[in-house]
Amino acid sequence: MLTLEGVQVNFGGVQALKSASFSIAEGESIGLVGPNGAGKTTLFNVISGVVRPTAGRLDFRGTSLLKLPEWKRARLGIGRSFQIPRPFGHCTVRENLLVAQRFGAGKKDPRRVDEILDILNLRDKADRDATTELALTEHKALEVGKALATEPSLLLLDEVLAGLETSGKRAFMERLAAVRDRYRLAMVIIEHDIATIAALCPRVLVLNFGQIIADGSPDAVFRDPEVIRSYTGETTLAEAS
Amino acid sequence: MNRILLIAVLAVAYVGVPVVFGGNAYVLGLIVAALTIAGVAVAWALLGNLGGMVSFGHAAFFGVGSYTSAVLAMKLGVPVFAAMLLGGVGAAISSIAMLPALRLRGPYFALAILAYAHIFQILATEMTPVTGGAGGLLSIPRFPTVLGFDFGDKTGGYLIVLTIVVLAALAYDAIRRSTWGLALKAMHDTEVATRVVGVPSTHLKAAMLVLSAFITGVVGAFNAHFISFLDPDYAFSSGWTVLPIAAAIFGGYRTVWGPVVGALAIYLVDQLLFKPILPHGHQMILGVLLCAMILFSPGGLMPALRRRPAKENRHAHA
Amino acid sequence: MFELTLQALFSGLLAGGYYATVAVGLALVFGTMRVINLAHGELVLLAAYVAYAAESNYGVSPVLAIPVALVIVAAASALVYALLSRIDQDREINSLILTFGLGIILTNTILSIWAADIRSTSDPWFQDSMVVADTLFAMNAEVAAFVGGLVLMAGVWWWLNHSWQGRAVRALSSNRAAATLMGVNPRKIEILSFMIAALLATFAGFAIYTGKTVFPALGHVLTVKAFIITVLAGMGSIPGVLIGAVMIGVIESLTVTYLSASLQELAGMILFLVVLFVSPSGLFGGGRALAR
Repeated sequence: MLTLEGVQVNFGGVQALKSASFSIAEGESIGLVGPNGAGKTTLFNVISGVVRPTAGRLDFRGTSLLKLPEWKRARLGIGRSFQIPRPFGHCTVRENLLVAQRFGAGKKDPRRVDEILDILNLRDKADRDATTELALTEHKALEVGKALATEPSLLLLDEVLAGLETSGKRAFMERLAAVRDRYRLAMVIIEHDIATIAALCPRVLVLNFGQIIADGSPDAVFRDPEVIRSYTGETTLAEAS
Repeated sequence: MNRILLIAVLAVAYVGVPVVFGGNAYVLGLIVAALTIAGVAVAWALLGNLGGMVSFGHAAFFGVGSYTSAVLAMKLGVPVFAAMLLGGVGAAISSIAMLPALRLRGPYFALAILAYAHIFQILATEMTPVTGGAGGLLSIPRFPTVLGFDFGDKTGGYLIVLTIVVLAALAYDAIRRSTWGLALKAMHDTEVATRVVGVPSTHLKAAMLVLSAFITGVVGAFNAHFISFLDPDYAFSSGWTVLPIAAAIFGGYRTVWGPVVGALAIYLVDQLLFKPILPHGHQMILGVLLCAMILFSPGGLMPALRRRPAKENRHAHA
Repeated sequence: MFELTLQALFSGLLAGGYYATVAVGLALVFGTMRVINLAHGELVLLAAYVAYAAESNYGVSPVLAIPVALVIVAAASALVYALLSRIDQDREINSLILTFGLGIILTNTILSIWAADIRSTSDPWFQDSMVVADTLFAMNAEVAAFVGGLVLMAGVWWWLNHSWQGRAVRALSSNRAAATLMGVNPRKIEILSFMIAALLATFAGFAIYTGKTVFPALGHVLTVKAFIITVLAGMGSIPGVLIGAVMIGVIESLTVTYLSASLQELAGMILFLVVLFVSPSGLFGGGRALAR
């Protein structure tokens, strides 16, 4: 469904992505991990169109994305949430979802907004102001909700669990699994919590210094010495899996 | 404003005012001038509130609209009503030249538009064969008689400009309430976040600029045919920028009818009260008003006058 | 033809000196407060009219009135600052409109006191012309203004780079949060930059009164021109502002000489738009013209 080949991103003197190449199939769930600064968010930015790569190919279902602005990619079916939630100001939660739905890829079914509100447990906050009246978990849920409302086929989630405590993480994880199963989406999830990734994604990509250093099942990947070294600086086994 | 109040006010405006003031050309003239300002004020508020861009050069659209309409009517014999609409189109087209300015931040955009206004003014002064140069155009065709009603006199003019203002305000309101309006509101703080859900943000901003230009152009064109005279200094005068801004800020540019109320209030008070006192420099009061509003009630007078529960107040934005 | 061009260039250079003095004040305030003081041109005008009042009411040479003007302009600037600091929401837009309104008040106050007539100094020394390098003409006033302006700007530039307050100004401009954490008192520095701007504005006002003509609408014209120059220069550097100002002065001068006097403003405007669209960070970088 999505293919990257030789994607390179330079910011001034820094090479954020060196030469990324991989493919995602329809409905696949992939975890994206790596130390901070590895280029994970940059990769998302390239796919969603916030950043233009300096080199490489980027194809989505046969169409090259390189010349398309972000909003056209959204309409093709690429949804993305941001690590730091950016709710639409002076709008209610429901209005946030309505805007996303109106401009997104999908068929504009009015029930979908209610479904999303239910899945993400936002029903009782539906008419509250999205910027001022939500708790952190709800902010994160809304971020996912906005991306979902566009009816994507590929959902990019950037550290949705960051900042939540353990029980909150588990609950959210269950909701994410429900989302994936309900809408049969492909998902790429950036996450630091190895347990979450292992539970949710049958395939994991590891990024370090802008390069993909591992691509496989969580088991295989987290035993890979290269991966362990990137996290801890040593090649001894970590308590990763 | 709720429906009933709106209909009542419109009834008074369309029927009551002509009946009461119909014979008094002076008062009607003042009201028409105030409504002309109101029209530009609504257009300015639309761009500022929905588009998120404050412009200091709306006189550009006013002038281009005036000249386009006048020239079409005088040199090409286009019927006046059609010419007026084409004046708006002309202003809209001129705004396309300003599209690159949309990527600029607040102050830069505001002054880039001002630069355009100066440029158009100088062009109007120099293109003498077409625009009559510095001397301007005289005897611009007035509005014709339609269905037995002479639109060329003061009452007719009043009805025309009233309709323009009402339509503009309704359009502004309609956009504001739609998902487009929500998206535009969201774009102010988080443009990238709106883009990734599919909002074509640049196109929306451009649409607001073109619409604002169109409305202002139509109002300018109306004015040209109403007073039947035009010259570059008048058509592009900074008054067409300053007064609408003062009106919109005073009345509340985040509301739809605020600019209209503000224009009527400010213009009439300025002409009837301050001008006799200070023949030179009475516009100083506008400056005082602007400053006072910004310092004490940036949302304008109308939101300040409304007594609403806290929840609704939040939605008084846009 | 060559001599004509040379004269035009020379006059443009001198005009650039005036413009630069006005522009640096604007840039300084923008740097520290991130606010474009749209009333800046009116402050210049205020100084000019104080000079006029001194000359016409008291028969005093304009030069002697400079201290008085300085006090008045400084007081007006302090008032502008005081009002600006009361704005708490939508700072960029609201301060634009506030200073816009203040500019209107000042212009109209001047209009109501002194009427719309064009004024200039009647002191003959300023009007006398001098010859430079055997071929170039300039009024004494123009050269005095240019030299004085350069000295003043050099002083400000030196101060910005070598004094503690000057460095604080630069620190506040480039990274407000870090600067305040380092002990820079933002309010004091902001007021300081307003005062320096007032000093430059006073000088510019006198320069324009003695070398050119003044009228109430000039305030607005000056503000716009100063803004255009700061865009050209990228708001980051004083030498850049000087070069930008000279560019505008020269372009205007050449346009007037070879095309038509009425197109004078047009040249500057077009240059402004071209630079804005082609290179929004200004010709010398450091600008922040683009939206997020």
